[in-house]
Amino acid sequence: MSIFDDLQQAIIDGNSPLAKDLTEKGLSEGLRPAEFFPKAIIPSMNEVGRRMRECEFFIPEVLIAARAARASTDILRPLLVGDEAVSSAGTVVCGTVKGDLHDIGKNIVAMMLESAGFEIVDLGVDVSPEKVVEAVRQHQANVVAMSALLTTTMVNMKAVIEALASAGLRDQVKVMVGGAPVTEAWARSIGADGYGKDASAAVETARSLLAA
Amino acid sequence: MMTSRERVHLALEHKEPDRVPLDLGASAVTGMHVDTVYKLRQALGLDQPGTPVKVTEPYQLLGEIKPDLMEAVGIDVVGLGKTATLFGFKNEGWKPWTTFEGTPVLVPEGFNTEPDPNGDILMYPEGDQSVPPSGRMPKDGFYFDAIVRQPPIDDDKLNVQDNLEEFGPIAAEDLEYFRRESERLYTETDKAILANFGGTAFGDIALVPAPWLKHPKGIRDIEEWYVSTKTRRDHVYRIFERQCEIALSNLEKIFQVVGNRVTAVFVSGTDFGQQNGPFISNKSYRDLFQPFHKQVNNWIHKNTQWKSFIHSCGSVRALLPDFIEAGFEIINPVQCSAAGMAAEELKQEFGSRVTFWGGGVDTQRTLPFGTSEEVRQEVCARLKTFGRGGGYVFNTTHNVQARVPLENVKVMYETVRKCGQYPL
Repeated sequence: MSIFDDLQQAIIDGNSPLAKDLTEKGLSEGLRPAEFFPKAIIPSMNEVGRRMRECEFFIPEVLIAARAARASTDILRPLLVGDEAVSSAGTVVCGTVKGDLHDIGKNIVAMMLESAGFEIVDLGVDVSPEKVVEAVRQHQANVVAMSALLTTTMVNMKAVIEALASAGLRDQVKVMVGGAPVTEAWARSIGADGYGKDASAAVETARSLLAA
Repeated sequence: MMTSRERVHLALEHKEPDRVPLDLGASAVTGMHVDTVYKLRQALGLDQPGTPVKVTEPYQLLGEIKPDLMEAVGIDVVGLGKTATLFGFKNEGWKPWTTFEGTPVLVPEGFNTEPDPNGDILMYPEGDQSVPPSGRMPKDGFYFDAIVRQPPIDDDKLNVQDNLEEFGPIAAEDLEYFRRESERLYTETDKAILANFGGTAFGDIALVPAPWLKHPKGIRDIEEWYVSTKTRRDHVYRIFERQCEIALSNLEKIFQVVGNRVTAVFVSGTDFGQQNGPFISNKSYRDLFQPFHKQVNNWIHKNTQWKSFIHSCGSVRALLPDFIEAGFEIINPVQCSAAGMAAEELKQEFGSRVTFWGGGVDTQRTLPFGTSEEVRQEVCARLKTFGRGGGYVFNTTHNVQARVPLENVKVMYETVRKCGQYPL
């Protein structure tokens, strides 16, 4: 078993201390930081996504796996400089819409996207359309991912799309939405480009939106 | 003429009463947002314009369902709850307040808010503004959310007592309240009583941050709690063990004062479902939660005639057999909009073993966004499906939210009157 195999297993098992140790061990043995992503982190989180889809993994298992992945990426990211830098899958601005303070779902989506190689700009909760526009400009984002848990706040997703249009940014970014009351039909009706029914689907959606 | 109590009892015995019984406001998950209660009271001509409605649950801003509204709508259940609210103050000493929507309401004297510079509203445990706030309502929002106050966690010094501060022997004052209030509700109304004595919900994520405590200790962050059910499983199990001992001892005392005046008891409000599937695996449920649910329910079944009520949002079909095995007899809110929760399938598979309490109309889509015709069709279909052979108490799927078209709410109750008569 290579260190990459062991690290994959540690992430899937949600063993953060082991994931950290293995990352450090691999680096000390001369492995390049960029190699860890395609060889350990992305495949392990793909496996977590598969287990989630097939009801083998539930919220606690996904959370601890994402934390283990982060234990590794927190060490690796600062080392990714110059030609060592891994090519990002894209930059995603994410947040929970205005008036809504719920963030567990949004956080899981952000962690899954990050582990899948996306750069994440997490604006937190209760995010105004203006803040999204500003972040898209500043970070040259490819994707905006908005979450809402309430029927009273999901309407604010539309305001984000309108603000992006008014700012002349709508053609530059793909907008995807999700959250308990949000459906694919709703996503279409407000002019979003994509919908993720859960965190695993959100990763697939982000990938396919950027591939299109 | 059948009384409300008889109607509910028959339904819970899986027999068909004269009509499907109705709940509105008997618990914090079967109520209605105060903005909507205000509009409904106005529409029904129960109040003069501008007459404020009491906020009886300050966290979700649920409005008081007074006897006149209960009669107007045909409600069969009343709630018996704890004296303190989720923010630790009592429902007493009412004072005027206005929601962001502009609805005139009355709030308890402990409902002391402060504006945040960003326009949000901050709320304080026990109304004490000298300690950090424990609740936040975003500007133009409709509800509070808990502000997580998580002290640093040292895994070498975990102490189960830290997460048990809110659980302890029931106070004499609370026992006396339960005695008096159960007697009053039993004699002054003909309704069935749904009681929530507290203390029997294990790991309810709405309660973990403890917005009523001034300085909560232990594990209080929501994500950290979910993670802890895996990474600190033994610690969480020990918290539940001790909580369960305390709960059983309290239930004994409570039963002595309320007896069988109570029809059903709200045992668990822990959410085990998300939109697309359970939050946790069956294995985790059986390992960490079911042992304690069984202890509580076994005690109830051995000593009382109470029916045991579990609330869990989301898709919990996979967990329903385990809930039933744990001794639960009533399932709420029956979120048919979640994966695998189709009404007909639930009724066929589980209808002989549990009473469905809720699921009357989808509050995520149909009630807020549907046409009145869609509401009528859905309500009628749910009554016919769930009501078959009894075993059904009508309520919306969770609380009726703010900004719901009033016409839809009116149509819902009209439809219940028309389609809810047995034979269905």
